[in-house]
Amino acid sequence: MEKLTDKFLWKALKEGDLNAFSVLFESYYPQLHSYGLKISKSNVVTEDTLQDFFLYIYERRENLSDLDTIAPYLFTSYKRFLLKVMKKNEMLKHTDFSNEIFIDIQFTAEEVITNQETAIFKNRNLSLLLNKLPSRQKEAIYLKYYSGLKASEISEVMGINYQSVVNTLHKAIKSLKEEISILKLFS
Amino acid sequence: MIKKKYNNLNDFLEDASFNNWVLQNNATDIHFWEFWIANNLDKKELVDKAKELILGFSFKTDFVNKEKVALEWQKLESKILAQKTIPKRKVRFLRQFSVAASILLLVSIGFYFLNSTSKVTHKTNFGEIINIKLQDGSDVTLNSNSSLSYYKNESRKVWLSGEAFFQVDKKAATNAKFWVLTDDLSVEVYGTSFNVNTKKNKTDVFLEEGSIWLKLKNGADKKMIPGNYISYSADKNKILEDKNIFNPATKTSWKDGSLFFENLSLEVAMDKIEETYGFSIIFKDENCKNILITGAVPATNIDICIKAIEKSVDVAIIRQGDNLIISKK
Repeated sequence: MEKLTDKFLWKALKEGDLNAFSVLFESYYPQLHSYGLKISKSNVVTEDTLQDFFLYIYERRENLSDLDTIAPYLFTSYKRFLLKVMKKNEMLKHTDFSNEIFIDIQFTAEEVITNQETAIFKNRNLSLLLNKLPSRQKEAIYLKYYSGLKASEISEVMGINYQSVVNTLHKAIKSLKEEISILKLFS
Repeated sequence: MIKKKYNNLNDFLEDASFNNWVLQNNATDIHFWEFWIANNLDKKELVDKAKELILGFSFKTDFVNKEKVALEWQKLESKILAQKTIPKRKVRFLRQFSVAASILLLVSIGFYFLNSTSKVTHKTNFGEIINIKLQDGSDVTLNSNSSLSYYKNESRKVWLSGEAFFQVDKKAATNAKFWVLTDDLSVEVYGTSFNVNTKKNKTDVFLEEGSIWLKLKNGADKKMIPGNYISYSADKNKILEDKNIFNPATKTSWKDGSLFFENLSLEVAMDKIEETYGFSIIFKDENCKNILITGAVPATNIDICIKAIEKSVDVAIIRQGDNLIISKK
């Protein structure tokens, strides 16, 4: 279902409508906040960069291109913005970050929920298992099941095509299932 | 009910009804998809893969709360405004103001907690939606122009006038029930999520998940299963509607701040706008009433809402005092 709201919010923002900007801010701040926290692992850095990021968007609103859906644009640009700041603050180990596209997300035992199939694990073990996955699989999982983005939106954020997103997610699910069946053999 | 062809993975993944079947939370969709799959066995592999992808993983999302977001917005807004006017003074003034405001807030929160057996009432204005967390852990989203009351020592019994969406926490240990009382009926609940709307002299209940019993004012009992929608008026002593809802978003999307129209006539859609924002709707042109509208518009911002409707169905909407006047472009 096309969201009429997104298109108009964006247009209104480009015209400098603060009211529209506040609606946009309120709808995306919570998701971007936890995304930022996952990347930077610092509350202070996340909140400071989000302030600067939204201010930056508002200041250059006239130069923004038209958008139908806002989420992918915000996630992509915020990630880029945050990584730049982290690089400046030497929070990143690799100095050559320009070539690094994928970030390494870690899941905590508190935030994973076991379902029927994964009930064999304790939460802690499931999070450990998730964290062992390749970083791009983890980012796709995070964006899909935590942030609630659509596969098409994830493909924009991660800069890969739709089919690759679906394959990446499927691969992660499959490898977890394999681990589960191995575990069941031994239990 | 089938609206389109399901040929590739994306067709399934982005389909609301298919998602409902996978998550087993709408009786109509569950029946439909069981039937569909039995008749389209060649698509079974795709269906299985899509199901796997939708189920995927579950997370307890821990997003920052509304108060925090509002605070961060105030910060940003003051920065934006400061740049527009004389920079330094404005910022200093706002800072002093915010200190005073937070002290006031702390004092009022203190008073709030002292009065623990008194009656608590939450009220919303037109165009305002709030989230309420009850003491027992249940979540209530209160729609515009509505009120919810309860006694501090008995928060599992609430009175509703207007519209609210409930996510009731199950009390497994005590098996304590949760009650919603309206002028027409009472809803008896264990653990579940559902929508109650008392606007327009009747009570509509839509059950999204779990199971609930309705005790109607006329003494009758009615059990509801997920997907059921029942509208009852005590005045008329009559069940006005009893059906299954295909797309739950049409009943509950307001709680996420948007009104969701699916092939509705503009007349019915504007009815919802009237209910939400408190404007009277005037159609200058009778023909406009029958235009069909599909899409989502915001529930808390009338300006953007008007613009979105104008653009999507090609009418002109003029705001005049408490009226919205609709005419052809």
